[in-house]
Amino acid sequence: MLNNTKLNLRENIMSQIKKGQVKMRSKWYFVLGSLAMIGGFLSLTIVSIFLVSLITFSLRTHGPIGAIRCERLLSSFPWWALIGTGVGFLISVWMLGKYDFSYKKNFSMIIISFVLAVLLAGWLISYLGLDNAWMKRGQMKGLYQQYDGGKMMRGPSWRLMQDGDYNKKDFPSILRR
Amino acid sequence: MIDLKKLTDEQVADYVRTKDQESYLEIVLRYQSKLMRYANSLTHDETKAADIVQNSFIKAFVNLNSFNTKMKFSSWIYRIVHNEAMNEVIKHKNEMPILEGVDFASDEDIVANLTKKEAQERVKKCLSKIPLLYSEPLSLFFLEEKSYDEISDILRLPIGTVGTRIRRAKILMKKIC
Repeated sequence: MLNNTKLNLRENIMSQIKKGQVKMRSKWYFVLGSLAMIGGFLSLTIVSIFLVSLITFSLRTHGPIGAIRCERLLSSFPWWALIGTGVGFLISVWMLGKYDFSYKKNFSMIIISFVLAVLLAGWLISYLGLDNAWMKRGQMKGLYQQYDGGKMMRGPSWRLMQDGDYNKKDFPSILRR
Repeated sequence: MIDLKKLTDEQVADYVRTKDQESYLEIVLRYQSKLMRYANSLTHDETKAADIVQNSFIKAFVNLNSFNTKMKFSSWIYRIVHNEAMNEVIKHKNEMPILEGVDFASDEDIVANLTKKEAQERVKKCLSKIPLLYSEPLSLFFLEEKSYDEISDILRLPIGTVGTRIRRAKILMKKIC
């Protein structure tokens, strides 16, 4: 019985190979797959760092949290960035798990180190003032300005609001809402 | 004409993918008995085991270019069988033994005093009664004579976890068999 099984097994496999029913995938298939995986991982990491920087920027520009500021922060907070960062972390961790080192080293430590590195990089962008520079110029200008919690506290608009002159003609309509 | 019998597994794999695909027969001949025994120890069903091994050989051939010849070929092909068998086991998970009312308080090594042959016989009898989580590393260690390092590569588990599972499997053998 067992010998028959072995013989059938051998014949089935080799006949499929000889007839060309199964074909070996080329080396390029795996090289491109690896490159896509590495590229995907790096892209996700960069996007996660950027989103962390946007969240840090939004928190920082809202200033110290008081009751009013907290309400404004909650209404204008980039929640999508927070969710995006979480999803980015989950996919990145899944990708890390695909590599051989994931089970040879302490995987929990690898994940913790990765998350901390992304958070640190996001915070560094804020610390070095790169986000302020991006708010003033470049591709991300609009996005950063949208989540700039301190924009109301700068310039004449804020002074008008403090005086209670909400209906003055020169007060921007967006701030009267 | 090259004598394939004199080549290592890794050299044969390299020869198959670069020179002659039909030399894959040598790999099938070298591994079919071992893989059948391994798949049988996971499924306890010779027909299912034969299907698993056949599919594994085909997958190994299709993906042979992804094999890194600096690694051990045996760990790579056992890993493929493990994945195939796990897919099968998940389909029939209700049939697998469950872990109930067993503790791991004892550190006594019940197979330490047995000869290798006796230990293998005992393991063979017990495998179907022990949960797969523990029976698989036990089978790889005693029946397939793999090192902890190789088992770690096949199951993608840290070496420490492999050691713990084998130790617990021995305790379970004492309590159940």
